[in-house]
Amino acid sequence: MDIFKEIRQILVELLDVDEKEITTDTYLVRDLCAESIDFLELAVSLNNRFAIEINDDDLFLRNLRLYIQNIPDSQDRLAGLTGRFPFLSTKRIAEILADLDQGPVLKVKDLIAYIEWQTKSKKAA
Amino acid sequence: MNMRFTGTKCLIVGGTCDMALTLAPKMILSGLFPIMTFRSESGQKKLESRLGDFEGKYAAEYLDLDRVHSIGQSFETIENKLDYLVDFAQDDLEGLIAATDAQRVQSFFEASLNNRTIMIKTAARAMLTQKKGRMVYVSSTAAARQSPGQGFYAAAKNGAESLYNAVGIELASKGITTICVRPGYVDAGRAKSFIEKHEQRIMDQIPIKRMLSCEEIADVILFLLTDSASGINATSITMDGGMSAVK
Repeated sequence: MDIFKEIRQILVELLDVDEKEITTDTYLVRDLCAESIDFLELAVSLNNRFAIEINDDDLFLRNLRLYIQNIPDSQDRLAGLTGRFPFLSTKRIAEILADLDQGPVLKVKDLIAYIEWQTKSKKAA
Repeated sequence: MNMRFTGTKCLIVGGTCDMALTLAPKMILSGLFPIMTFRSESGQKKLESRLGDFEGKYAAEYLDLDRVHSIGQSFETIENKLDYLVDFAQDDLEGLIAATDAQRVQSFFEASLNNRTIMIKTAARAMLTQKKGRMVYVSSTAAARQSPGQGFYAAAKNGAESLYNAVGIELASKGITTICVRPGYVDAGRAKSFIEKHEQRIMDQIPIKRMLSCEEIADVILFLLTDSASGINATSITMDGGMSAVK
């Protein structure tokens, strides 16, 4: 199963965008203008499509900035966020930290990472 | 009138109350499939006894708002597919605000608001997958006019109405609408003994000079589930014979 293609198809239908506009590096909010109601539908669709538990807050990195605020020493942020978002690689978290000032950071590849991680967790259980 | 329904599967929460048991046969005869929730063995038996003639045309499901895990379990059993939700469930906590035990208050609101929110959320997500759904919440005129000692009950009703209204506002564009019904005095349920004791005083307050019947409430709810009624969204309908309009 190609998770990216599945997610792309869901986004195409949900947001009425051309599939050519969607790559793994596409931002959900900055590029595709997704809104809160879209995220709700996206979570429901992913839950149905992949039959996995979805925690909306984790999947959409909702409290990311709050967690960052609560780690005052910037040296500790990478490790702190890796623990909080175990589905994201250290490299990706470093990217996110460098990208925060530009706006909402969630990308399609973060959704893929979440689905892969949850699928593995489900199999392990 | 043509009563048209685009869906069939209806979860009736609080399915063992008199109003729910009056509604269920009407739904079945209209081609709907009610899933009646119960929260005790006696409730389950009551369902079997009252709906025995309709075997195979309804389902019974354990769901107790006091036990949050039962919500997820019920929705798993019905495969998270739902066209309609009718919510009758309501515990009662009668007492003066300044005199009621804090622990009792906490558990009352835990079930009435916190756990109800989880149930509404789960139902909304189940309906979102098919991009249609209708929720009817059975509130009470106490949401607008309360007697002394009804503060907790009224707060729970108002809180639940706000939650249902919010869903109707937020998800109407996705095909999900909501409506709250506020019955006044109904000749059934826990109010029955109170009504019998104070009949004359109550009649003096009701312009139509009678209580409403479960049949009348059930008929209105059934209409509110039809396609024709979906424009009535995120609001409340009072059914009290004019009682709350009188000075």
